Amino acid sequence: MLTFPPNPDMSSPELHDPSAAPDAGMSRRSFLRTSAVLTAGLAAVATSLKPLFEMEDFTSAEQFMQKYYKEMTPEEMKKVLARITREVEKQYGVRPHVRDLRPMDGVEFVYALNLSRCIGCRKCVHACVAENNQSRNPEIQYIRVLKMPHGTFDLEKGDHNYSPEKVPEKGFFYMPVQCQQCHNPPCVKVCPVNATWQEKDGITVIDYDWCIGCRYCEAACPYWARRFNFTKPSIPADRLNPEMAYLGNRPRKQGVMEKCHFCVQRTRAGRYPACLEVCPTGSRKFGNILDPNSEVSQILRTKRVFMQLKEDVGTNPRFFYYFDV
Amino acid sequence: MVLAILTVVFLGLAVAFLSDSWGYPAKHAPIPLVDRSFLDPATVRRSYADLVRAKEDLSDFDCYGCHEKGHPPPLHYDANQKLIIPPEHADVVMGHGTHGRNNNCFNCHNENNLTTLQPRDGRELKLEESTQLCGSCHGPTYRDWDSGAHGRINGYWNLKLGSAVKKDCVNCHNPHSPRFPGRQPAPAPHPLRPPPDADVPAQP
Repeated sequence: MLTFPPNPDMSSPELHDPSAAPDAGMSRRSFLRTSAVLTAGLAAVATSLKPLFEMEDFTSAEQFMQKYYKEMTPEEMKKVLARITREVEKQYGVRPHVRDLRPMDGVEFVYALNLSRCIGCRKCVHACVAENNQSRNPEIQYIRVLKMPHGTFDLEKGDHNYSPEKVPEKGFFYMPVQCQQCHNPPCVKVCPVNATWQEKDGITVIDYDWCIGCRYCEAACPYWARRFNFTKPSIPADRLNPEMAYLGNRPRKQGVMEKCHFCVQRTRAGRYPACLEVCPTGSRKFGNILDPNSEVSQILRTKRVFMQLKEDVGTNPRFFYYFDV
Repeated sequence: MVLAILTVVFLGLAVAFLSDSWGYPAKHAPIPLVDRSFLDPATVRRSYADLVRAKEDLSDFDCYGCHEKGHPPPLHYDANQKLIIPPEHADVVMGHGTHGRNNNCFNCHNENNLTTLQPRDGRELKLEESTQLCGSCHGPTYRDWDSGAHGRINGYWNLKLGSAVKKDCVNCHNPHSPRFPGRQPAPAPHPLRPPPDADVPAQP
């Protein structure tokens, strides 16, 4: 902060009074000097605020006064969705279809991934980016595919920067890791403002308008599943997915967290998530665990489901890895 | 004197702020957008049933355009008991099964009616029903496919809200050479800050 030395001359009423006696207050010289300092100081303060004025998505008063997600009435939610639609249209020139999708009754989502089938082609990673409007530069990706040598589950031996001509490579298996949608999520516990919580269908969601960007959840997550928008996300308008959900893939702002939410904009409308749709090998399986005939129920019942990732930390994920054989 | 120094300091600050002397970090290196082929949810192959549904050219499946009805085509083997593929069927790669044991077309195709398939149990299946044929040998895999643990299902998990498409074996596996082919992986993640030894494109 800039502080100014106390200047008794400034409070002198004679300063601006031409009828006052010339020798009563300050001289012309000291007046000029004081105003020069003041002007320079004000100019410095104004220019130091320049980045603020360059912020394009400055929080609007409407968003600032917005209520907590769980306390909003349907009318208030309607207004919020209209505001998001307006903002997205202004920024990208694409009119989005923004919805607030709530969990269905009698549904709990579970994901199962077949490690015997995954070939590590990373199509899921990029389908997810396209579906969920993640920043392209800098890149934000919810899924990391680890290339692991046969015979170990030591995550430290995993490599996610592989880029051979062709996958799969001999002697390796591939393990995609994304948000595990834990029953006991550490990220929810550490959030100081309750901007992230677990819904009754098992999805841990984030209210991007409530997040203060403290990144505690990122530190708490044992799976490195949460991503932070260090800069304003950049998404080309022609790659924007206009089918949006409030807790899902609506564009985020700088300074908020985001992560995999099992594509709430798709799955709460009954569809499969984008990563599953694009998987060429059919390694990814998704469904309602409370339905005994769903694929995931069958898999958990009949296949060799060997683990939840980092079982020992007690998070109890809803994401299971299984084998054929 | 103090005021003069302050003036100079403030003016200096103003100039520094305006010219961003220390302000912003280096711009991010450009990252090319991912090729749209990596976003395509299509299966790696198209089955006969897909072609029928899309009403496409099926002349490849007109067996009796060349073969003669009632005369099962003869099979020829070389000295190593390897099946000789006639040039008309050069696109067929015989890679089904290990040790060349599955080297007979008529383990699956019906020699008496080439437009159908014959599983080992004596049934006669149409080309669209090839999944039944695969299941007649690959029992556990067929069981998994049936329950949804193996293979692809696209569309809706909630069948009250929409329909799901269960893909057939031949949507992913070439029946003549069923191992899933390797493919080019999509680009690896670009780090937020490239490591110091990374190749940074030279500034012009």
